[in-house]
Amino acid sequence: MGRDLHTNAPVLPAKQGTNRMGLQNGKVALVTGGRGGIGRAIVDRLQREGAIVYAADLSEDGSLAGPSANDSPFIRLDVTSEQAAIAAMDRVRAEHGKLDILVNAAGIEIEKTIENTSLEEWNRSFAVNVTGTFLTSKHALPLMRAAASGGRTASLINFGSYDGFIADPGLAAYCATKGAVHALTRAMACDHGPEGIRVNAICPGYIDTPMLQSFFTGDGSGGGGKTIDQLQQAVRDVHPMRTYGTPEDIANLVNWLASDEARYASGQLWVLDGGLSAQVQQMRL
Amino acid sequence: MTRLSGKRAFVTGGRQGIGRAIVEAFLVEGAEVITCGRGGKPDALPCTWHSLDVSDPDAVATVAQSIGPLDILVNNAGVQVEKTVVDSTDLDWDLVIGANCRGVFNCCRAFIPTLRSGGSIVNIGSISGQVADPSMALYNASKAFVHGLTRSIAVDHGPKIRCNAICPGWINTGMLEAGFDLASDPVAARQDALARHPVRRFGEPRDVAAMAVWLASDEAAFATGQLFTVDGGMTAASPLNPGVF
Repeated sequence: MGRDLHTNAPVLPAKQGTNRMGLQNGKVALVTGGRGGIGRAIVDRLQREGAIVYAADLSEDGSLAGPSANDSPFIRLDVTSEQAAIAAMDRVRAEHGKLDILVNAAGIEIEKTIENTSLEEWNRSFAVNVTGTFLTSKHALPLMRAAASGGRTASLINFGSYDGFIADPGLAAYCATKGAVHALTRAMACDHGPEGIRVNAICPGYIDTPMLQSFFTGDGSGGGGKTIDQLQQAVRDVHPMRTYGTPEDIANLVNWLASDEARYASGQLWVLDGGLSAQVQQMRL
Repeated sequence: MTRLSGKRAFVTGGRQGIGRAIVEAFLVEGAEVITCGRGGKPDALPCTWHSLDVSDPDAVATVAQSIGPLDILVNNAGVQVEKTVVDSTDLDWDLVIGANCRGVFNCCRAFIPTLRSGGSIVNIGSISGQVADPSMALYNASKAFVHGLTRSIAVDHGPKIRCNAICPGWINTGMLEAGFDLASDPVAARQDALARHPVRRFGEPRDVAAMAVWLASDEAAFATGQLFTVDGGMTAASPLNPGVF
């Protein structure tokens, strides 16, 4: 249950067609990359918590092989297209008139050093990870202002990465785009906080998704004759928690940041990495 | 090489390692250098020596009074104990916090009034004050204290005094070797650690001294309240360097 920003009085969630007391009852959410590895878990969770959730993605299956079991409304969205962003928000406006939660989860990763990265690949990385965040946010803001009226906050959640702080080898363009998202997150929080819109970024470490599997098998990540299982175990062992994360772990944090409990959380970069980046380097001692 | 000519510097912990390198670099740059440490003056040290335990506030105050006006204070003296929180004893606390926290505090409190306008304090922090080395709990925490104190002094005592911290990474000193000696396979541990440094070598005391010279000099006149990491790129890299698996 939320509380009014100014009076601290409890704010009763709007009634939904469910008897479950969800954290997101009555809210409208849109998740870009909503049919991808992390996106599906976010859509599922926000929906279970009572929100109406639009899954926006390039295709109905997103980056995964199979269809989603989730019945969330789907919006075909190429985040690099301003026209597509406008059309997506037009639909949300027509159907609900507001947007309480925007999650910019669409992203791509090019596994190369800068010498091996073509200009086209560089531009594509920035187009999806940075420009996509910009375009979707820009056109969502009027709907988020509408949601933020009446003392409640709207929540915009970007996807940074622990790679925006420290570098993995052979991921140059990706690291640079995530650093840009971190700075953009702070800038947006400054600009739109006065309008009741909170802006945060989640910075995942290693999360079990197709992107991670690609990192294990891709050209840029070495391998040294080891099997994928051996590599994966080695990666788990470097984490203080001795595992990498799941999309559900990310969805848990999205759910909190999107909720009224997080009404004072804004402008921050939330690292969720099983302790990976808290250590200097895990030496094999 | 006269970037520090005409300046008087006091460097704590100048017997060996990083402190000794700072003393020697400051002398090369033309500074008058005074240093200190527990015990007697080491052989062949070409500058004034005070026998001093920085964790003793009265002793620090006495030395500060006897030295007179200064331009540069380098808080380098420090100790490390390789233990987790649960394994650390009260004596470990007194040792690590006494030298690394109280010692830096004692020296800053005693020497700030003796620093001339334009003076520079250089504290030796650590990358371990930013991110954790395993089984170094009190050391890690003590260096985070140094980082916080550095910012406070910069804020409280500017514009008269600048205060910055250097965060060394793994520097070839007795402390580093002690760390490797704890490994089950010291040779493999050394190789593994090297592979995690983009420059493919450990730091040398002179690498840290070079930064100390710059921060102490007038070239750094606009630098204050900051942490300067000198670690061969180690903390810029993810702990998950696949090249070392």
